[in-house]
Amino acid sequence: MDPSPSLAAPAFDAELIARHDLNGPRYTSYPTAPHFDVLFGEAEYRAAAAASNEEPIPRPLSLYVHLPFCPSPCFYCGCNRVITRNRTEIGAYLVRLEREIALQAALFDRDRQVLQLHMGGGTPNYLDLEQMAALMDALRSGFTFGPESLREFSIEIDPRLTGAGTMAGLARLGFNRASFGVQDFDPAVQEAINRIQGIEETLGVIADARAAGFRSVSVDLIYGLPLQSLEGFARTLEIVIAGRPDRIAVYGYAHLPEVFKAQRQIDPADMPPASTRLALLGLAIDTLRRAGYQYLGMDHFALPQDELAQAQSAGDLQRNFQGYSTHAECDLVGLGVSAIGKVGDCYAANARDLTGYYAAIDAGHLAVMRGHRLTEDDTLRGSIIQALMCSGDLDMQAFSERHGFDFGQRYAAELNRLEPLVSDGLVRIEAGHLRVTPRGRLLVRLVAMAFDAYLARPGEKAPRYSRVI
Amino acid sequence: MTPSPLSLATARPAHKPHAEGDEQHFCTTCAFAGVCLPGGYEKSALAELQCLIEHTDPIQPGRHIFRVNDPFHAVYAVRAGTVKTYVVDDEGREQVLGFFLPGELIGLDAIHPAHYPCNALALDTVTLCRFSFPAIASLAARMPNLQAQLFRLMSKDIAASSLLAGDFSADERLAAFLISLSDRLANRGYSATRVHLVMSRADIANYLRLATETVSRVLRRFQDENLIEVERREVAIRDLPRLKHLARCVLRT
Repeated sequence: MDPSPSLAAPAFDAELIARHDLNGPRYTSYPTAPHFDVLFGEAEYRAAAAASNEEPIPRPLSLYVHLPFCPSPCFYCGCNRVITRNRTEIGAYLVRLEREIALQAALFDRDRQVLQLHMGGGTPNYLDLEQMAALMDALRSGFTFGPESLREFSIEIDPRLTGAGTMAGLARLGFNRASFGVQDFDPAVQEAINRIQGIEETLGVIADARAAGFRSVSVDLIYGLPLQSLEGFARTLEIVIAGRPDRIAVYGYAHLPEVFKAQRQIDPADMPPASTRLALLGLAIDTLRRAGYQYLGMDHFALPQDELAQAQSAGDLQRNFQGYSTHAECDLVGLGVSAIGKVGDCYAANARDLTGYYAAIDAGHLAVMRGHRLTEDDTLRGSIIQALMCSGDLDMQAFSERHGFDFGQRYAAELNRLEPLVSDGLVRIEAGHLRVTPRGRLLVRLVAMAFDAYLARPGEKAPRYSRVI
Repeated sequence: MTPSPLSLATARPAHKPHAEGDEQHFCTTCAFAGVCLPGGYEKSALAELQCLIEHTDPIQPGRHIFRVNDPFHAVYAVRAGTVKTYVVDDEGREQVLGFFLPGELIGLDAIHPAHYPCNALALDTVTLCRFSFPAIASLAARMPNLQAQLFRLMSKDIAASSLLAGDFSADERLAAFLISLSDRLANRGYSATRVHLVMSRADIANYLRLATETVSRVLRRFQDENLIEVERREVAIRDLPRLKHLARCVLRT
């Protein structure tokens, strides 16, 4: 297979992007979470977990743990989080979380190793090391951790909440990957988003992580923030690149104040115009490429020796709720409020707010409130979307042979829907392949959307998603 | 007392076997299909045998066909799906006796005690042919081919029950399990190299007298050694000769 079109750097064409920029899902799952159903609950999840143990070689496990608390609100944030200064609230949550861990762990056979663990938030490192140690103990007593060399245990870090021994302490607890929230170092932007974060302290924490033996370090940036300027963002990129993080994510800020309350604190007058927004993205892509970073897809860049970049070159890159990954074959267990898991052919989502989560756990139940069992059609479309998002190349010929139908016939309407994207040079249909072009890479969500059977088409009411760019 | 050898699983048909018999034809998977082939029975005799057969309604996964100590009236031939037989010992532990595929008979071990000595459970959607035992026994007295076939089936059943009793390694047991499945499926016109394991790994482990995790560990190693490829519950046999070689002591081939 010819990997060149997909691995070429994305071409940045502001006019093209401006013309196609609209809202679309990020496809960390297919179908996406808004389509999960309340008819899928605890009983269905338990059955899925039992069935997953019955496979001849059950999949290893990946754990996602949601820690929703933050000491103060960043105004751009669209995550499920709880702002509190009251640390006893964290303790009350951890009691429930440990109960849920015990209930969930009992569903999975003990010989199924945990190869992946991700702690997301909120701000996971708002927990102190003692609380984190207790949480890791709970996980370790319920689940079997895989051998150290195979583990990818990652945590999202707010550098402002770390102390001298934080990273070393987390490393001792088993974490070997960290992603650091930076967003932008421009003081004006930091004030507008209510996140004041010094350059020295941030770089210091990243250095601590390296010294403590973290194998992979990632930095999150955001473009499209209020008051953001090309000069300021260029400086941020320069500072971050100098630290040589293995991965850099550059997320587009999704301004949806009607959905995310915190965003109402942002003065609409401070929002950069669409042209600036696009120029910021163009700047990031260009700067990162010149600095030697490889584009993985969506918002993600990595140094060529990073394992995600290696996986992409080998065609093994996967996409799941944590973004891009090298482990697709895991069953994903979601723990904590709003966490989403995928076990066997089922997605399962926990209660979205603390009230619902506590009520379920206190009654001795799992907190699964919604979910979805994949149909055969879902599985097929999911694998098409996966191929487009991860390698930018779908072998329609091989797909047809594998599934015993004619791709062009079965997906005639979808291919039709792609026509305008073909005319604009975002995708090419050639030699039995559907290939995302360098021009199309930044708009790959649009290509994927053509295959989404759940999307409301023009004239219908659609769920709200963030903008494509 | 155990049923057919390493009784197995079902497979995706390589071609679609005829699902239904009629007055002149048995289902192609029928345990008694061989009866009329060599002798060329008169249609009337065949019709008489056919009269004994009741096709059951589909039995849903997880439902029992019979339970231990139910009075014995009939033997069953599996037409579609997979049946697991098992007993529960005095300590409350389940002991898996075997897995039955299309074309295989269950209930032969009930003839002497006149009640079923085990439980029979549908692992997936199962359809059966039910043969009233008194009727088939009296017909067998008049049809030598039928009698011979009954003896063959019973003898096979007895021989198979001792196969796993030897001091075999986990590798040998699992290889024999897969080869037995493959052989039986191939005999019914299914692919010999694609096996869908409808039974759980705990059932496989129990049947082979191995620890559950051992089953997965050995299968993973087989996969690493390119003997097989496992995708969820589908097993593709990649190196049939090597797997057969591993299985030869258990299967005495």
